[in-house]
Amino acid sequence: MRRFFAHLPGRFFLVAMLVGSAFIAASSLAYFDFETLPAFVVEKLPVRFEALWLASLRVHVAVASLPLCLLLPTPALQRRRALHRWLGRVSGVLVLFALVPSGIVLAFDAKGGAVVTVGFLVSAAIVASFMVRGVTAARRGDVVLHRHAMRHVVAQMSVAVTSRVLLLGLDAVGIDPDVAYVVALWGPVLASAAVVELVSLRSIRPAVPLTERTRRAFYPLALLVRVRSLARPLVRLGR
Amino acid sequence: MCAFALSLVPSFASADEPSLAEWAQRRVEDGLVKPLAELEGHRMSRARPPPRERHVRVLQTSATLDKGGHPFVSFAVDVRFGSEWRENDIVGCAYTGSGDLYVKKGDAYRPASFLLGKNEEPVAGVCEAVPARS
Repeated sequence: MRRFFAHLPGRFFLVAMLVGSAFIAASSLAYFDFETLPAFVVEKLPVRFEALWLASLRVHVAVASLPLCLLLPTPALQRRRALHRWLGRVSGVLVLFALVPSGIVLAFDAKGGAVVTVGFLVSAAIVASFMVRGVTAARRGDVVLHRHAMRHVVAQMSVAVTSRVLLLGLDAVGIDPDVAYVVALWGPVLASAAVVELVSLRSIRPAVPLTERTRRAFYPLALLVRVRSLARPLVRLGR
Repeated sequence: MCAFALSLVPSFASADEPSLAEWAQRRVEDGLVKPLAELEGHRMSRARPPPRERHVRVLQTSATLDKGGHPFVSFAVDVRFGSEWRENDIVGCAYTGSGDLYVKKGDAYRPASFLLGKNEEPVAGVCEAVPARS
């Protein structure tokens, strides 16, 4: 029961992200209807390099719609090591050679100007650098570092969902859309990175803190138990 | 005599007929603002959320001729998201003869259906008044 509750936040996060991703994927189908222009494209056009921008948008949306990075940390895929490795390789290639480059192209024409462009580039840099670190850690067999790096990758990908939810929330309370766009990008990017660091600190830290362990070690009863455990074999030898 | 005869001919511009500005306002509302409102919705998208309100302003009381000699009236659409109005969110023109609507995107004018999702290319020369001769 305790274990169930311990895993509850992680499971809730995973389900929320899968549902959010499904909604985004459904609303992104319009990008592949070549006859009409979705509202986001109408809003953005004209852009400097229209063909490149549109191709990048479609690549970015198509790759982001695959929930591979969300499925990899699930226990079912972690138990199947060979499958986990292969799907991990596919994810790594897609993220590093399609998602991040297309995201960088889109970032330079992001609405909201330089502040938003930098926000998207920071997120892309976190994803790319931690994906590389995560892959190299996995190849070395360093599971702790691999987990930490992949958490950062998934957390930055979750910005797609949290940012859109935040945009809806800020619109509901009447915040100016230009201000909301900046807040809904930088907030989740920074918060996601911070949450990963906190979660990783908690998981790396021993279950019992050092102070508590010291206190227990020098507690009179604990000392007595230790003395007895040392004395008992000697007494047995004497018999 | 002629003046008397003309006065007996019913006028095309009756008292109930809207002025040019009223006609243009109604045309923009029916041809752009209402279809936009029907199209927009809150989606899981990075697109700008639909405004709470739109208001059409007709910028001229009389028509201007473009290079092709076609009369048009310029308009602007203001939007409200929170409490403040944002002016000139959409800028364009309505042709009095055909009723065609054009909107400005970047430096060019495109048919207003572009804002409704149709992939329309910019049209040269529309909504541009003929320079006055000195």
